[in-house]
Parts: sequence; C-alpha cells; structure tokens
Amino acid sequence: MKTMELLQDIFRDVFDDEELTIGEETTAADIEDWDSLSHMQLIAEIEKRFGVRFTTDEIRSAKNVGEFAALIERKKG
Amino acid sequence: MAEDLAKWKELTRDVSDFSSMLKAARRAEKQGEGDVPRIAVLGTNSIQLIVSVLRALLLSDGQNPRIYEGEYDGIRMDVLDSDSPFYRFAPDYVVLLPELRDIPAYPELFSSEEETERMARESAGYFLGLCERIHEKLPAAQILLSDLVLPFSEQLGNLEANCGFSRTAYLRRVNALLGASRSGYVTILAVDALASYVGKKNWFDETAYFLNKSGFSLQYIGDFCDLIRRQLRALSGKVRKCLVLDLDNTLWGGTVGDLGYEGINLDPNDAVGEAFLAFQRYILLLKKRGVILAVCSKNEEDLAREAFEKNQHMVLCYDDISCFVANWNDKASNLRLISEKLNIGLDSLVFFDDNPTERAIVEKFLPEVAVVDVPEDPALYVRALDRFHAFDWLQLTKEDISRSKSYADNRKREELLQSLDDYGEYLRELAMKASFLPLSENSRERFSQLINKSNQFNLRTRRYSEAQIGEMMEDPAFGLYTVSLRDRFSDYGIIACIILRSEGKSCFIDSWVMSCRVLKKGVENYTFQKILSLLKEQGISELRAEYLPTKKNRMVEGLLPELGFSLEGEDGEGGRRYRLELPGGEIPAGTYYIEEE
Repeated sequence: MKTMELLQDIFRDVFDDEELTIGEETTAADIEDWDSLSHMQLIAEIEKRFGVRFTTDEIRSAKNVGEFAALIERKKG
Repeated sequence: MAEDLAKWKELTRDVSDFSSMLKAARRAEKQGEGDVPRIAVLGTNSIQLIVSVLRALLLSDGQNPRIYEGEYDGIRMDVLDSDSPFYRFAPDYVVLLPELRDIPAYPELFSSEEETERMARESAGYFLGLCERIHEKLPAAQILLSDLVLPFSEQLGNLEANCGFSRTAYLRRVNALLGASRSGYVTILAVDALASYVGKKNWFDETAYFLNKSGFSLQYIGDFCDLIRRQLRALSGKVRKCLVLDLDNTLWGGTVGDLGYEGINLDPNDAVGEAFLAFQRYILLLKKRGVILAVCSKNEEDLAREAFEKNQHMVLCYDDISCFVANWNDKASNLRLISEKLNIGLDSLVFFDDNPTERAIVEKFLPEVAVVDVPEDPALYVRALDRFHAFDWLQLTKEDISRSKSYADNRKREELLQSLDDYGEYLRELAMKASFLPLSENSRERFSQLINKSNQFNLRTRRYSEAQIGEMMEDPAFGLYTVSLRDRFSDYGIIACIILRSEGKSCFIDSWVMSCRVLKKGVENYTFQKILSLLKEQGISELRAEYLPTKKNRMVEGLLPELGFSLEGEDGEGGRRYRLELPGGEIPAGTYYIEEE
C-alpha cells in the first residue's frame, strides 16, 4: 500500500530513526518520542507531502497510524 | 568538534525548511547541554519547540547554550516571583515572548485619540515594566522582547484602517511605543515584520493554536528562531561592517570596459536600468546608516572610476566608496587587500557579485567573508541583500554614521602622507585634537559598542553588555573613560574605551580597546599619559595590566612592555600579567602629537 509506505518514510524522518517500522496499529504508546509536539510535526509533514489539510477534530482524534492512512485516502478521494 | 560544527551548519543551512529545522532540533535535544551562554526563554504560548530549534541554531554557530524553558503562560509567574527558578537560573539573555492575550485592555469604540494613546502607553508600559522588573533582579542580563504580531482579522471590516480606536491601529501604536521607549537593556525582536514578510495568512495557524497553543505555523519555526539567533550574534559583537560590491552587472547593466561610461545601463526609462538604480539607492541608504562601501571589480581602474564620475544616472559617487579596487587580480586577493586597507577583519566583509564563479572562489578561499547568494534578475538584488540580514547591529551610533566618511577621508590622509617624508611631520600636519573623559550617560551606547566590537586593539577581549556597563558606572571601584579624536580631515568621535578597577593603592586595567581607524597616530600614548596623570591624582602607586591573546589581538601583544610595564607572570595559554610602579614623578608615556581638545 502506497500510503503506508510514504507514512513509514515520514515517521522515520520525523523521529530520526531509519529502522522505525510502523503498522496500522502503531500508536503514540509504541514510539517513545511521539508526544503532542511531534504529533504536530507529523501532521505538518503529512499535510505537506500528501497535499492534504486536516481539521482540528481529525488531528485531535486520530489515534493510530491506520486512522491517519484512512483519513488521507478519504481526502485524496 | 570542528566536524560537529560542520554537521550542525549543514543541518541548519536553510532556516526556512521546517522539516530539517525540526530534525536538527530533535538531534540538538539529544546533545549534552553546555553552559555558555545561559538563555532563559519565557513565553505566553508554547515555547518547547522554539527552545529546541534555537539550541540547534546556536550549535551551528559554535555555541552550546544552557537554556531555561519557562512554563506555558509562565511569564508573570517567573518574572513577578523574585524567588522563581528563572531568577535562580541567572541567565545572560532573556527572551520574552508575550502575545496578544497579554494585552491588558483595548480601547472602546469611539475612544478619543488621547484615550487610545493613554491606553497604548499603558500596554507598552506593562511589557517594558516586566523588563524593568527583570533588570532590577538581573542587572547584567540583556532582554530580547518580541513585539506583538498584529492579527489579520479586521473587527471593524473596511473601517479598521479608518478609526484610530481600531484594534489594528491600537496594536500598531503599542509596537511603536515598545521600540521608542525601551531601555538599553531591552532589544525588540521584530516578529510582526517577519510575519508580514512571510504573509500573515500563512503565519497564523489557527488549528495549531487551538490544539497546542502554538503562536504561529510550524513552517516558520526556523525563521522565528533565526530572528533570535541573529540578535544574539549582534549582542556578542559578531557584526559585519563593510559591503564589497562588484561593478559590471551588479551596480549597472553591461560591461563598462566594452560600453564606456555612457553605454552602461542605468537608464531610468528602461526596466532593467531602473532595477540597477533601485539597487544603488538601497546601497546608498546602507551607507547613510554607517555601512562601509568597497568596490572589488575586474576592470581597468580609470574606466571603472569614470563611470562613477561621468555617468549622469549614477546614484553612488566615487566618494561614497571607502576602498576602490579595480584590477585584474583574483577577487580573493583583492578582498584581502580591502580588509587590510580598511583595517577591518575579513569576517567584517559582505561580498555581492553577480558572477557565481567569483562567489564560489571567495566562498572557498575566504570562508570568513559572507557571500550573498545573488539572483539572476537585478530586480531582485535589493531583496536578496536585504533578506541576507548581513548588517544586524546592536545599535546605531553617530560614530557609525560618520565612519564611512572617515574611511573616505583616509584616502586624503594617505595623499598627505605621500607628500611628506617624515611620519612625525605627517602626524603634526594632521592637527589632531583629543579628549579623555569619564564615561557619560549619552556615550554609553558607543562605549558598549566599542567594547563589544573591537577585536584587534583589545588587551583582554572582555565583553560587557550595556546593562553590565551601567552597573560598573554605579560602582566606585570602577573608572570608565572614553577618548575622542578629531583631525583636520574628520571628527572620529569616541575611538577608545578604558575600564579601570581600583583596590586600595592598586589599579588594574580591566579593558583597553581602541578603534583600528586611528592606529599609528599616537593615540595609545596619549591615552596612557592621561591614565597615568589620573592615577597620580588619585594617589595610586601600582598599575597592573594583562594581555590575553586571541586570534585577532596580536597587535597589542607588545603594547604593555613598550609602555614600560614589567612582566609578572604567564598563564599556560599565552596570557601575560604585567605590573608598573608609579613613583611620584613624571613618567614618559611615549611621544604623540595630539593636543588637548
């Protein structure tokens, strides 16, 4: 799946960890540095690279990587 | 360590690229924290990322700071509680980042002009009052206060710009008052101007604000922190003074060697000619604020000079240029020549040349010189130079403004020197007049500037903020003095500063700095004579002094023994302590041809 691959790249980049592997079930609890600030950083990178814009509610509610992927795909139509 | 530095520089090369900025920030957080300088960041919005990115930028400047990060919305908490961890941290610099929520009140609709002005003064007074409070507790700290970013929203719609009581008009006035009423220990960070430059619709990110209380979009975190970093650089004395310009296709269109002075393009009726004229006008404004101008061009000198003297559209004239170098040598050598002729370091130079090959050569061989990335289109020259932020200074002083004139007058002095064969006769011909005075309040800015900027004639290279200088002025153990000089060609203003510290019958030269513009004129002998007679009056019997070597102050290595001091001891790193006994009688301080003003 293309979206997950790109997301993986973004996560590796943001958390500066070339070996980081994410799955749909990955949540903030699985990644040590995933706090509210890196969350904003993730959003900014995802918005930039996928060319989408999330609403306040979406950013607040998305809890795991799978939910991000689903949101992105819905927005890209 | 040098490798580390290169790594940080590379990582933070583009401050507008927020992805690399945040990556650098993450790495900076994993780096062991240093201790110099000590910086406290206090903000109303979240400042966590600002602190991390600032740390990364300072690492790329070769500094590893210790940073105190205030609590969210913690300005009052830290500043008003005299026992707060902020005060215990004892920072050298305080970065104060309030925002609109801190504005105590806005004018009501139909408020009179007087009422609006009174409230604006009250608001500005609130922010400057916080600074004053900090200054009382931390008199040596320099405070960087952000101005208010005016929102783009227009509560009164089309009437926003038509009413003196509108929020926009009001906030603009508060910002103006911050700049106009600040004390020397406060520097205003122009955040509103930065937000305007990137565009407020991009600057503000409402989602990020509601979610995280970020004051602005993450995209600009690098630009924001760069603003703070540049101010810290200026405060530490790292400022550039001289703009070195190419000529053909930089100041005018075409090649003067081929086209002659009449053929180069400065045509006010031609779009490209106009662009070059606009660039020259901008440069003239820089010169008026004290930036020294130099020319470094591959040209026949007489042809190049002819363009300045005979082309009717030229904005800059030959006398605006303090050092004019036009020949066929390589530009790296010519920049060295300019630095020697003007007696300023290579790290004071900013190089502007349309030719990418010349720029690459200078970057490679003279990494100290700042090289502007010049765009292809001359219409964008002003923007490129302006946004390069090369001339971020601590303050403007009268000496700066007259400086470029005095460099130009140097040429006339050189001509005089060539007409006389005896140097002493030359000095007498200059008809120099000087004064040696205790530091007064209205010279404090200039004093601080010289103390912080002088690198070459500087015995100990101790840097003091304006706030610290203020403290010393209050302390009877310290004596702070200035030397002013003029000659028949120009008035140099204050060109030397001395800080003496007395203890009983003994006195120590804490600082002695002198502007390099007045080297080899006997000013050091004059100054020393004045110090000696001053100490004699005070009944001091022993004068101590010290030379601490740096990369740049070799020229004063021999100064103390020449003045009659004897060596007392050396530390392991080349520092030398000296002593001079002061008997009752006259002590010769070396010859000089300077009269008392």
